Amino acid sequence: MIISLEWLRDFVEIKENPNELSDILSNIGLEAETTDTVIETPGVIISKVKSTEKHPNADKLKICVVDDGDTLHQVICGAPNVEPGQTVPFAKVGSVLPGDFKIKQVKIRGVESNGMICSERELRISEEHDGIMVLPDKLKLGKDFKNSYGYKFYSLELDITPNRADAFSHYGVARDIACATGRKLKHLEVKNISTPKGISIPISSENIEDCCRYVGGVIKNIKVGPSPNWLVKKLKSVGQRSINNVVDISNYVLLEMGHPTHIFDYNKIPNKKILIRRAKKNEPFTTLDGQNFKLNKKHLVVTDGKSPIALAGIMGGENSSVNHKTTEVFVESAYFNPVTIRKGSKNLSLLTDASKRFERGADPNACLKAFFRVVSLLKEIAGGEIMSEVMDFYPNPIQELKVSLRYSEIISVLGYKIEKQKIENILNGLKISFKKEKDQYDCVIPSFRPDISREIDLIEEIIRIYGISAIPSISPLSGEIQYGNPDPESYLDPIKTSFCSFGFHQLFLNSLENKTEADLTGKESVHMLNPLNVDMSNLRTSLLPGLLKTADYNIKHGNLNFRLFEIGQTHYIDDSLDNIYVENKSIAAIIHGNEKNVSINSNEIKENILNLKGVIVSIFRKKLNMNLKFNKEGHPAFSRAKKIVINNKEVGFLGEINSNWIKILKLDLTTIYGFELNLTPIKEMILKKKEFKKINSYPIVQRDLNLVMEENLEAGKIINLIFKIGGKYVIKVNPFNLFFDQKAIGENKKSITFSIFLQHPSKTLEDKDVNSIIKEIIHIADKQFSAKLRA
Amino acid sequence: MPIEEKIDIVRNNFLTDIDSFPKQKKEIEGLRSKYLGRKGFVSELFTLLADATKEDRPKLGKKLNIFKNELLDQFERKISEIRDPNIDFENNQLDFSLPGNEPRIGSLHILDQTLTEIKDIFKSIGFHLAYGPEIDDEYHNFSALNIPEHHPARDMQDTFFVDENTVLRTHTSNVQIHLMEEKEPPIRFIVPGRVYRNEAIGYKSYCLFHQVEGIYINKAVSLAELKGCLEYFVKQMFGLKRKMRFRPSFFPFTEPSAEVDIWDNERQQWMEIMGCGMVDPAVLNNVGYDTGKWNGYAFGMGVERIAMLKYGIDDIRHFYSGDIRFSKQFI
Repeated sequence: MIISLEWLRDFVEIKENPNELSDILSNIGLEAETTDTVIETPGVIISKVKSTEKHPNADKLKICVVDDGDTLHQVICGAPNVEPGQTVPFAKVGSVLPGDFKIKQVKIRGVESNGMICSERELRISEEHDGIMVLPDKLKLGKDFKNSYGYKFYSLELDITPNRADAFSHYGVARDIACATGRKLKHLEVKNISTPKGISIPISSENIEDCCRYVGGVIKNIKVGPSPNWLVKKLKSVGQRSINNVVDISNYVLLEMGHPTHIFDYNKIPNKKILIRRAKKNEPFTTLDGQNFKLNKKHLVVTDGKSPIALAGIMGGENSSVNHKTTEVFVESAYFNPVTIRKGSKNLSLLTDASKRFERGADPNACLKAFFRVVSLLKEIAGGEIMSEVMDFYPNPIQELKVSLRYSEIISVLGYKIEKQKIENILNGLKISFKKEKDQYDCVIPSFRPDISREIDLIEEIIRIYGISAIPSISPLSGEIQYGNPDPESYLDPIKTSFCSFGFHQLFLNSLENKTEADLTGKESVHMLNPLNVDMSNLRTSLLPGLLKTADYNIKHGNLNFRLFEIGQTHYIDDSLDNIYVENKSIAAIIHGNEKNVSINSNEIKENILNLKGVIVSIFRKKLNMNLKFNKEGHPAFSRAKKIVINNKEVGFLGEINSNWIKILKLDLTTIYGFELNLTPIKEMILKKKEFKKINSYPIVQRDLNLVMEENLEAGKIINLIFKIGGKYVIKVNPFNLFFDQKAIGENKKSITFSIFLQHPSKTLEDKDVNSIIKEIIHIADKQFSAKLRA
Repeated sequence: MPIEEKIDIVRNNFLTDIDSFPKQKKEIEGLRSKYLGRKGFVSELFTLLADATKEDRPKLGKKLNIFKNELLDQFERKISEIRDPNIDFENNQLDFSLPGNEPRIGSLHILDQTLTEIKDIFKSIGFHLAYGPEIDDEYHNFSALNIPEHHPARDMQDTFFVDENTVLRTHTSNVQIHLMEEKEPPIRFIVPGRVYRNEAIGYKSYCLFHQVEGIYINKAVSLAELKGCLEYFVKQMFGLKRKMRFRPSFFPFTEPSAEVDIWDNERQQWMEIMGCGMVDPAVLNNVGYDTGKWNGYAFGMGVERIAMLKYGIDDIRHFYSGDIRFSKQFI
């Protein structure tokens, strides 16, 4: 909501500049920001147009002589409305207008121009740029424009929290300022205009819950026309456009008092009565801004007994709207139920200044005052005279709410003793009346504060005005010590840090993907009922698509070699469960490009699947002491996928990313390896305690076996065999020197050298023991796998 | 035996020999002279040319030269493979001005680093951590937190719905409710996690972010203690001299409520970093805590916002771009 400083001055003294006032308001919970209309215009001064004459070389330009009270300036001006005798804002040569626009001496079509007469837009007052700004004549020439007139357009933008229905107006904000600064709040005088016994309009409401009060009356002799200057200027100062005097009055009262009213063209209410009811199913309605709606039971309408003439509390109807032909109006000032209005406004996506106030809770006791405020302005500005009784439908006036406030409770909640006098001043300032009973205040809550109903709400009001900053803080160390591991996710720390130390960058990627991406895993993904857009309609079922898209992005930005990982939640739907939304914590990684780039002492080495396997082995087997296995099994993400099994639980997969996925994701990627595993079951696995073992200091014997075998035989089978035969003596097997050569070793053969490291647990191994083991290995390797010692 | 066959024999022997290539200089030289020395196998083959016919001689000579080069090539390659930088260094052969062989270095994401810092600060004053679901029912995300279905307070957070009654959590406060449903007071926890908002994506807002919420319930907890706790946090996170202020605000689940601002010297303005307040009795009632006996405070902050302020990151989208150039700035 935009608040004008000048307007606030109707109700409270304002000594501060916009920035200072903004701080005061922010400190009492009305978050304020200065708006663009804070004009800094050094060099712009109040001046008078002495004379104008046509420019000899241009039809639309005039040569003006401007008097700044001291000197005369010749200025070329193109505005159609410039006239001799006008008081104007004049930017002298050397002044700087908003937007860093410097005024210089120039020649326009051969005639010298020394300065500029400004329009409202040039001074950032409004968008008005059709002509120059004409000022009141009483202003003193030569004075700074901002200080003598521009300040009237100072405004602040307030972010009113949803609980503060009362602060949604200039009067409401003024009340808080008065309370916080100790200044006097000027009363808003509204005279109850006595009415002759005239026309009577029957008012009823089908459901009193929906509309507990409705005030209305008929005004005749209305002359619809432009609003007077003061009204136009006030609306402009808060960024609103003037429409006509009648519409402007309703808007003005809303901004002034915060209570919405509506003005109907009385002659467009055929039945001359008012019935508030829920709309019928598919009942058509056109709002005054020309939107067509089909209504239903959710919507509350004001009718003339038959057809709707307004969407209650939201917007009037086209069929009953005021226009220049209007002569008689019906003024409505009502209280509609917040929830009813909110549901209707949400349902139609129609949020208006009126609905915003009703859904927060208007003041039922303000209806009459707002009504008379409108009526008196109609009389003053549009010549209107009341011709009906004031109809006040208010069958069950609301009861005043009483809340007790204990002094001890204030101290307890705040942890600080506020002086009683301060508390009483605040209550008075907020117009909360109270009776003092020993250490207790029995408060009566004003009806414009629907947010206050409990003791704690009153304490909140006290501290809001008193200032939280004014309360000394207490050491944060108090209460009981908690035992046990403070962080159930600390199991992730060794995993994360290991990935980092292996050259992986951790990423945080979007959980929302399009349906195609989310469905790639074959799991049913969770779909938003109200997605932001089609590209973010579903929750990811896997971290891999995000990582792959990132890989593509980085390659396109010149990074070809990378290792990336992410730890994050994945979701899918399992209809067989009680809670069908399954959430897991996953970890996934990808590697691409070179493991090592070429350098002085190394050739380039490409990343390969064994690098990824090695990372997983290091972390889960070596570091976390888990039992790790890789089994052959298909997975849509990978070609030649391997299933990762940890402590006999299937937790994930690794492999080369399937080209089909890359195609579906529309990426330009070639060879890229990745894995993904579910951390949820791993979290549950009790980490095996690390235990010291005596260091074996007997000598280690190394033997190399160069075996020739079928090309497609897995080397792992030979390694397992060596371990099996070697029993407790073989401590390590290191395969190397993979070699293919038809001539040397035969067709479809390969040779691998296995370095075997042997050690006896309790003595020095003797040659004969080693020899018998090696002999047995050679024998069995030949028998089982036809792997032969190379000659 | 024709020369071609003899070449093959020499080649096979050579291949076997270089299979297990020696590492000592002396042995390498021995191997070189065995094949390529003045009296080596290759020279020996050349002497055989004398026995060849005049017609065959040029052809065979060419073959032998090719073979010799082949062996030289393979030999050099092997030598370059086993060159030991340590020996070179000692012999002043290796140029120390060359770039060092840096091991590959990865990084934890700056949000992860920031979160760790936040966790550590609160752990040091007795907070434990709790986690909870990202998909939750409306009750835990809204109603239990005193945000009624038809209240404008719901507009404070644009929500993604996955079904009529289920949402992507808009804050981690849902976990506070789960915690209090499970545990008896006193409790003192912070709850980090990913939260979602159905908001247009721009430099200031994204469809998701990461939050840390805290809750402390005990007997006679006061606003002054809440202030002490958050002042400690701000000082630890942003430095002892950082100016901060508490500004009254509104959250449905706390009463009174406040926002915490810190002073940004560069922008010369207050920057909002978190919300806080005394837990609203309505929330305690919803989880069955006796409000006559227990009360407490709660607070919540965005990890992104803290990181942006701390490191001067100007666009929230950097966090989720996956751009390695961003990651490398926070190794």
